[in-house]
This record gives sequence, C-alpha cells and structure tokens, in this order.
Amino acid sequence: MLLHLLVFAPFVAAILMVLNSKEDFRSATRMAILFAVAFLGLSIALVAGGNIATTPMEWFWIPGCKGPTYYYLYSHGLGAWMVFLSCGLSLVALVSARGLLGMNYRNFAIGIFSLMGAMNGTFLAADAVLFFFFFEAMVIPAAVLIASFGGEKRKEAAMTFAIYTLVGSAPMMVALWYLLTFADNSLLLSIALAVQGLPEATQLVLLICFLLAFIVKTPIFPFHGWQAITYSEAPAPLSAILTGAMSKAGVFGFIAWVLPVFPFNMTEISTMVWLGLASAIYGALMALRARDGKKLLAFSSMSHLGIAVAGVFSLSEAMLPAVLVLLVAHGISAGVQYFLIGVAERMTGTRNIDEMGGLAHKAPAFSFLFGAAGVMALAVPGTAGFVGEFTVLLSLWDLSPVCAGIMGFSMILSAAYVLRFIQKVIFGEAKHECKEGVKVSGLEGVAYGTMLVLLLTFGFHPAFVTESLHLYDAPAAEQAEETAVTEEVIEEEVEEEEEGEVEPLESHIVNSSDIAKLDSSLIQAGFSEEERKELIKQVIETEANIARSTALALEKQAREETQVRGVEDKDYEINDAEMEGHPATDAAPVNEKEASND
Amino acid sequence: MTNIPLWLIPLFPLLGTIILASIAVASSPNKKGAPEGIVGAIAVLLPAMSFVCVVALASTMPDSGIRETICNWIDIPLLKVDIGFLFDGLSRIMLLFVTGIGTLIALYSIGYMHGDRGFARFFAYINLFLFSMIVLVLSDNLMLTFLGWEGVGLCSYLLIGFWNKDLKNCKAANKAFIVNRVGDIGFLLGMLCLITIGGAGALNYDLLNQFIQMLIAGGHVELVLPMLSLAAVLFFVGCTGKSAQIPLLTWLPDAMAGPTPVSALIHAATMVTSGVYLVARLSNMFVLCPDVLNLILVVGALTAFWAAFAGLFQNDIKKVLAYSTISQLGYMFMAAGVSAFDASIFHVFTHAFFKASLFLGAGAVIHALAGEQDMRRMGGMIKKTPVTACVMIFAFLAIVGFPGFAGFWSKDLILERIFTNCNWVFTGTWLADGAVPMNKIFYVTGLFTAVITAVYMGRLIIMTFFGEYRGDKETESHIHEAPAVMLIPMIVLTFGSIFAGYLWAESIGITFFADTLAPVLSAAQAFDPARMFNPDMMLEEFIPRITTHVNPMLFAALGTLAALFGMFVAWKGWGKAHIPSVKGASTAPEGYAKGWTFLWDYVHLFFIKAVLIVAWICDVVVDKVLQAFQWTISAIVSIVGDGATVFQVRKVRLQLTLSLFGVALLVLVVLLTGGLV
Repeated sequence: MLLHLLVFAPFVAAILMVLNSKEDFRSATRMAILFAVAFLGLSIALVAGGNIATTPMEWFWIPGCKGPTYYYLYSHGLGAWMVFLSCGLSLVALVSARGLLGMNYRNFAIGIFSLMGAMNGTFLAADAVLFFFFFEAMVIPAAVLIASFGGEKRKEAAMTFAIYTLVGSAPMMVALWYLLTFADNSLLLSIALAVQGLPEATQLVLLICFLLAFIVKTPIFPFHGWQAITYSEAPAPLSAILTGAMSKAGVFGFIAWVLPVFPFNMTEISTMVWLGLASAIYGALMALRARDGKKLLAFSSMSHLGIAVAGVFSLSEAMLPAVLVLLVAHGISAGVQYFLIGVAERMTGTRNIDEMGGLAHKAPAFSFLFGAAGVMALAVPGTAGFVGEFTVLLSLWDLSPVCAGIMGFSMILSAAYVLRFIQKVIFGEAKHECKEGVKVSGLEGVAYGTMLVLLLTFGFHPAFVTESLHLYDAPAAEQAEETAVTEEVIEEEVEEEEEGEVEPLESHIVNSSDIAKLDSSLIQAGFSEEERKELIKQVIETEANIARSTALALEKQAREETQVRGVEDKDYEINDAEMEGHPATDAAPVNEKEASND
Repeated sequence: MTNIPLWLIPLFPLLGTIILASIAVASSPNKKGAPEGIVGAIAVLLPAMSFVCVVALASTMPDSGIRETICNWIDIPLLKVDIGFLFDGLSRIMLLFVTGIGTLIALYSIGYMHGDRGFARFFAYINLFLFSMIVLVLSDNLMLTFLGWEGVGLCSYLLIGFWNKDLKNCKAANKAFIVNRVGDIGFLLGMLCLITIGGAGALNYDLLNQFIQMLIAGGHVELVLPMLSLAAVLFFVGCTGKSAQIPLLTWLPDAMAGPTPVSALIHAATMVTSGVYLVARLSNMFVLCPDVLNLILVVGALTAFWAAFAGLFQNDIKKVLAYSTISQLGYMFMAAGVSAFDASIFHVFTHAFFKASLFLGAGAVIHALAGEQDMRRMGGMIKKTPVTACVMIFAFLAIVGFPGFAGFWSKDLILERIFTNCNWVFTGTWLADGAVPMNKIFYVTGLFTAVITAVYMGRLIIMTFFGEYRGDKETESHIHEAPAVMLIPMIVLTFGSIFAGYLWAESIGITFFADTLAPVLSAAQAFDPARMFNPDMMLEEFIPRITTHVNPMLFAALGTLAALFGMFVAWKGWGKAHIPSVKGASTAPEGYAKGWTFLWDYVHLFFIKAVLIVAWICDVVVDKVLQAFQWTISAIVSIVGDGATVFQVRKVRLQLTLSLFGVALLVLVVLLTGGLV
C-alpha cells in the first residue's frame, strides 16, 4: 500500500492542485506543502520499515516479447533512501519556491508533484519496463518546469535537457526490447538469465546501451553537455531536486540494474572507474573556473557523482553502504546549496558570483546557512559527506591506490572551488543593493537548517543510513527461498560469477554443483583451462577462510566487546599473512584474481 | 580515581559553541549585538570547566591511562570505527595546556575583541576550536583524531577570515584551508595504508601498538615495511600541512591576518603542534621506518633553518613571530626525527607558553598602537607599556634559550638528543672519509639556528621597545597599557615561560616530565631499529650510540653561548642603528629577502598555475569541442529534418503512394520472416 501510495498519490496530488485558483497564492502553497509533508512522512515510513514489495500484477504484453511485463514495486535500502531524497527535496523546494514571487505557484506545484511521482516510481520499480517507463517519465515534468519557470534561456535549456536525456536512453530501450524477446518476463532475474546466455560481443553491445542511458543521466564525462545549462537555467528549487534526487537515478541504475544484470570483465570495470574519476576531476576543474553560481554547483555535482560512480565500479565489499551514504549526503548538501544560491539570486538579482558579495553583513542568518552548507559540502569529518567520501576512498584504494590518489586530488580541488564560492558570495564588500522582502523566511530557514542538521546526524551516526541495507538483507533472503523471484539472489549469483568470493551467502558452502556452475560461467567469460583451475582453487580457499572468519565473527558478536574485536581481526589476518606469505586483508585474494583477469 | 567521564571534557566547549552560535545568530538583526558580559562569561567559563575536569583527571590518572568507548561511529564492511577516548600520559600533557592556555586566551580576547561587531561569533569559533582540539588529542583512534584535525583546520579558516569584509583576510583563510587540505589527504591515505595492513582495527592506537608488537615478535616487519613506510610518509605529509613544515608552510605567515589572540592560540600554541603530537602518538609506527625518521629530521632541520632566516627579514611584528613558530616547530620535528619524542613534546609544552606570551604581548602592542603592526613605526614602547614589555622580554629570554628559562631546558634537550641519538651515517664512495656521521651536521644546524633565533628575536624586542618612537604623533598620544583582563593572562603565561622548563631539568635532576610520558613513549624510544631485522647484518650499518662520551654541561654551555652571541649580534645590528622611515603601507620584505621569504610560495604557485592551466584547457578547449560535437549532431538532425519536411507538404498523391509502398513493404517483410513473433 505504501509503495502504491508513494508512486501514485503524487500524481493524484498534482491533479488535486488544479482545484486551486491561479491567483490564490496562499491556499495553493498551503495545500502543496501539506501534501508534500504527507509524502515525506510516507517516505520516512518506507525507510524505517525495511524492504517491502507489492504483489506482481501483469501489466501488458509488449508485442514480440516472450513474457509479460509486470506492475511490481519493490523497496530496498537504496531505493527507499532515494525516495526519501525525492520527497524531502520536493517539500523543501515547495517551501523555497514561495519566495520566488510573480510565478504561478499552482502550476509549479503540479509539476513538482508529477516529477516526484515519476522519481519514486523509478526508484521503486522492480520490473525493467516499469523502471524504464518512469525513468523516461521523469524528464517530461522536469523539462516543462524548466521551460515555464526557468531563466532567460529556459526554452533552449529545456530542449537540450529533454532531447539529450531522451536520446541517451533510447539505446537502452532498444536493448531492453531485444532482451525481452527471449527473456521469460521483464523482471530482473529473467533479464539477467537472458543475458547470461548471450555471446560476449552481444553482451558488450547491450551493456553499452544500458550504461549510456545512466551515464547521460548522472551525467558522466563526456556526456555532460546538458547538465550545466539545465541546472543553471532551471529555477533554483527545481535544480535542487534535479541534482539531489533525479541525477541519482543514474547511479541508482548502475547499482540496481546494470551490476546485477551484466557480467563484467576488468576492462569494463576499469573503464567505468576511470570515466567516473575523469568526471570528478573535470567537474572540479570546471567548477574552479565557473562564474555562474548555479553552473559552479552543477559542475561540483558532476564531480561528486563521478566519485560515486567510480565507487560503484570499485566493486569492493564496502561499496554499497559507501555509495549509499555518499549519495544521501550529496543529495542533501547539493540540494541545500542550490536552494541557498536561489535565495542569493533573488536577493541580488544575479547569478554571477563575481557580482555578489558582502551578504555576510546584509543577511547574517542566510550567510550562516550558506557557509555551513558550503563547509558540509567539503566533506569535513562529522558530516555525512565525510563518511561517504572516506568509505568510497577506501573502496577505490582497494581497487588501486592510484585511483584513491586521484580522488584525493579531486577532494583538494573541491576545497578550492567551494571556498572560492563562499568567499565570492558572502564575504567582501557588497556590490549590489539587497532587494526588499525576499530574505529567507522563517519556514525556509527551518527547512534548510533541518537539512544541515540531517547532514550532521548522518555524519555522526551513519548507521541510520547503512542499517537500511541490513533491513534489506534479512527478509529478502527469506523471500528468496519462498518465491525465487528476488533480486537478492540474482545479485548474489552475478557477484559470484564476477567477483564471486567477496560476498557469498552466509550459509554458503561450496559444493560440486556450485563449482560446476562457476566453471561454466568462467568458460563463457573466456578463461583458459589453467586460469579456471587457479580461480576455482582460490574460491575454495576463500570459502574456507570465510567460514573460519564467520565463526570468529559469531564468537565476537556473542561477546559483544569492541576492544577484543579488533585484536581478533588482526589475529586471523596475521594467520592469513603467514599462510599466503604476504600481508593480506580479506580482500587480497580478490585483488589477485582481478590481477589474473587482467 | 575520580569518576569524571572523559566525554565531559569536549562537551563543555561544544555546549559553548552551540550556545554562543545561537546567541550570535539570534542577535544578528539587533544593532548593538549581544551583551558582551554574558557572552564573555560563557566563553571563558566553559573552557575553564574543561580545564578543571582535566586537572582532576590528570591528578588521579593511573599510569596505564583511562579508556572510554562511547558508541559506534561507522560500521560497514571493511571499516568499523568507534567513538572512544584515551586519556594517558601524552594526552594529559596536551590537554592540560590546550584547555589551560585556551581558557587564558579566551579571557584575553574579551579585552582584545571588545566592541567588535562579531563578538559572540568570535567566541563561538574559539569554543568550536577548543572542542576540535580536545577531540584531536583525546581520541583513541585515528579517525576521530582526523575529525579534530579537520575541525581545527576549519576553525582556523573561520578565524583567519574573521574580519571577512577585507578580501585579503578571506584569501589568507582560503589558502590556509586548501594547503591544509593537501596535508589532510595525506592523512586520509595514510589511514588507508594502515587499514590495508592491519584492518580497520589498526586505526585504534592501542590496537595498532599491539599489532606492531605482534609484527616485531613474529618477525613480519619486513613484509609490511613498504606499506608501513608509505603510511608513515603520508602521515608526515599531513603533519607538514598542519604544522607548517616544508613544503606546506606558506599558509602560516598569511594566517596572521586573523585576530591576534587567534594567532596566539591556534597558530602558535596548540593547533600547529598537533603534527608533533601525531608523530609522538604514532611513535611506535614511525620507529619501524628509520628512513622516514631521517626524512623528518631533514625536513625539520631545513624548516627550522629556513624559517629562522625568513624571520630575520620581516617588518611585521606578527610575521616575525609566525616564522619563529615555524622555526620552533622545525626543532620539534628534528627531535621527533631522532626518536626523542618526549623531548619534542616537551618543547611543544614550553613553546606553548613562551610563544603565546609573545603573541599576546604583540597583540597588546598592536592594540595600544591602534592596529599598527609594522615594527619600523614602533620603538620606545617600554616607557609607555612597561608590563607588556616585561612580559615580552621574559618570553624573549625563554625562546632564545637563556639559562634558567623554559626554552633553555627544552631546546637544549633537543640539541643534545640530536647529537646523541642520531645514528644516521651518510655513506658514499665520493666522500673523503667514506662516511659522514649526520648527528654533527644536524647539531651544528640546530645550534646555528639558535643563534639566528636570538638575532631575530633581539631585533624584534629592540625595534619595538627600545630606541625612539618612530610612528606618527597622533597615535603616540593614545598609546596606553592594555586593560587588566588582557594583562592577567599575559602575566600567567609569563610565569609559565619562566618556570615550565623546571618540569624536566635533567642537569638539576628533575625528570618529572619525562616520567609522565614514559608509559606512552618509552617503548618507541628504546626501540633499536637494528634489531628489527637480522641483527648481524644490520648492526654494521649503525654506529653505536655515544651517550656517555659527552658531558651534558658542554651542550648547555654551547647553547647558552649561541643565545648570548645572537643577542650580541642583534644589539650590535639594531641597538643603535637608525631605522629608515617607511614610505608605503606594505610590510613585505624586498629584494633578496623577498625571494627567500616567498620561496615556497613560488613553488606552490607553480602547482597552482599548472592546475589553472589544465582548468583553462578543460573550459576553453575540451568543453567547447564537446559542445561543438553535440551541436553538429543536432544540426545534422535538423537539416535532415528540414529535408524530410519536403514529404510533409500537401501532396496527397505522393503521400498516398508512399504509404501504400510502405504497407506493401511491411507485408512483404512479415511474410518473408514468417510472421510476427
């Protein structure tokens, strides 16, 4: 019920907003904000409630396809948090938009609610066609909003945005259709199985089609052409939603749809990691030169999401919680920065940061929020951004120290551009007179303040975010046994084929059939006889190690003493070191394997 | 043992931050600002309560220290970190002077910041700084230390740019943060190295030490040595950022743009010494990597020497003190480089007193002269402000190492340790003797630096307090002694700079300070790198330590001579000299002095320019090419579209023909391929 509500109620709300008159600004704002508060409440319930799913309902048959398409919604930790971002940012956007005078608030709210519904659908869909439907549907309300409420070049921006992203996902549509012609149905498991049977070259083409859609949406260098103009021309509250929630659909797609479906080889993984890092550096450098405040934030957003994508493809053990925390942190901090630059824009009447300045004295409360938001975007420890960036750095370090070094460089650059941004906007002497009556209102201030407090809370207690992934694990495993139509299984299987040994099921015991399966998929992946033997040997060894460490971990839990825990960690790490003749962490065998893949 | 929980210590300044920040934001629309009495009382009392807690804990602490785990912080695969505190001999010393001097300087600031519009905001930052600094030294793991580490950097940024109407201050603040950020990335990557070797548990200091002991006991040191050395180097990069060592030192002189109490507290007494603290805290790890220790020794010596010379060329009174701080930090790292971690912490301790006194005294002078910082416009102040002059002269005697004053004991100890502990021998076939014992070279460098220290400090004292007043007449009539609220902290700190040295005066048999640090540092200091690997092979390369051969009194005599000689040179050079009157407002040195002073700025500029050029290429070349590509495609599409509209005009016959043709084609295809699906 919750899932249905989150996806469809926003559209209903959008229709109900029509009841308001265009002229009656106050009642429209009240109604919109009440609706948005209700949705935020629902999304919090979703995050707190763990994973739930609706019963799959047959939706329609696509002509030429083997199986039906389902209307099937499914919530897991990652999707639930993305829904939280979409609902939360929409609420703050509706609050913030009250300050943009002289616009048709009713229509703005209608657009925001439709966008929210489409985004929620994207993050909750368990069916590929449904996912694609919502993924495309997001673009339309966003483009309409930009075209109606944007800056001077709004028409051009809306066209660029709509065409670029729609064209970007067109190959995915074709690829999806092709897959559906021989997949049993359009659920994740069937598609993944369908991909397994294909020749490698076809797999690669399909993979590129899928990747392209998400690369464009995120965006990742060199497909970021639409981003700067769109984010800068869109009204600031909308830009906040676009960067805070909608761009997450790209990263979400990588995690939820690309990784479980496609088998990867080292070239593809490293290409994606390098593309992510390239966007991180490129975005940071562009932000360093940007004069338009909103463009600067657009590039900073690109930089952070580049890091997130690189983190996703590092495929380390810590990847999922790390990227999730990074995404949540970035969603909130980039969102609040966009809201605040919107406030600055309406106070000074310009987006050019060279012409701003001196707001620290004119509007101290605003400047406090602005400075705090900027500092939190820097990933200072104690904010959620730090937890996200450090854990992603850890994942990348696991992959290769060079990657971690590059990410470190982008963190230095981020300090440079954010501080320059803060200095130009709020410090120095004022160059413009403040207009009257558009300062931060009380409600707005509270909303932004709450976002900052959330960043601090998640920074000191990231378990709020990472715990939701555990909620996702346990019941999903149960469900997997019952219905066998659960994503968990697929993820496990695919990971097994790829980096297999890293995260096996807890009760996993290697038996001959597993080995046979692994062997056959390795043959498909084109490994030679010797390599396969070597790999399988490693799998078995690692299994043994993991069994041992699981036993140790159980003991540890029983004792519940943190001090003791670390010592034992080292105990068996030293054992490992002795056994393998060099210092090894748990991930070392994987690295070896990846090296041999290479 | 008292039952004060450790988390109370950082809690008080944190509360102060929250209360004062609320006051600052709430009073911002109000024209008068918040009442200074209440704000000042909160700002001083809360750190003072922390200080009381620390004293109570310090007096009853067991030798092994107090450990407290508060809660879990991060818990994901590969990374489990707790929020926990560790109160042992090392953090005791650090906390005592951090909270103590912090409280005194907060008291002083009430006088110094009187009437400033951002009074409440200033004290909110100061309290946030104290919170971060306490977390930095009190934490029991590297992650939490890093929280304090970046926290103090952030507060330093906020306070340097405190007067943010002037963009010059903002730029100095940005520079400080960004340069520190470079070091911080080193810190982060260092932590990753440790995680690679020992898992997330290795971030905890206790577990790291146990882990290292196990490595040594099991003979595995050789296996992890490359990674461990990398970790040590990366941590040291972090230290060069925070503690302003070569090459990341350019931010500290610029940081003098902040209010003077800030310079005293953050950029002299506490924050900049956190690098030394970190090296001491990780001493067990550093001693495993003798090459890294040698690197620290070289960097420390170069920094001490270079900054002392740069201090000689400055005209701004605060800049002289800034370079002096860098130089003294160089001494501390030299000590750490020869595994004399207790000596380096001892110098941190005494330096905190005398450098804080010097800065507060300089602040009082600047306050009296209504903001004048150029020493060429000062002179003869001893008659107008006798108390300040006395404070500064006592602190001056301490820093130059005049016998009996604090700096004498600590600096002397460092020089002695350099001579006795350094067993690094430089070998090379092209050398005349085949081998050069480096201890002598570094000892002479240290001693020579001590001479220069006495020269530039003597110059500062003479130019400020003696001779004739050289400023304009109008300011002269307003020169006044600072109010009591500023003088009291100065006098207390002066007592510290005279007597702090007697906590460890080896020649008169007091080793109290060394004893308190012994439980933490003795293991590392007694560690002989020669025994780490195969003893037979390695012993040939190290010459045995020569502790007994040299009379300690000889070191003391040489140190005293250096100080006296330096003072003599200063008196000769500036005592009677006529100082040319200044024309421009700039205090920056000129000519060769400029080149020396800004040497590392030029190096930084090179990297900054490189980044800017790459950014320019991205912006002007790459981005334009991508856009051109994108618009070419769209242009092609629209041209083709224009062409296609030919079929869309009202030519019914043509369209009908085309449709029929299309249907026929479709039917044909379906028939040939065997139907749909």
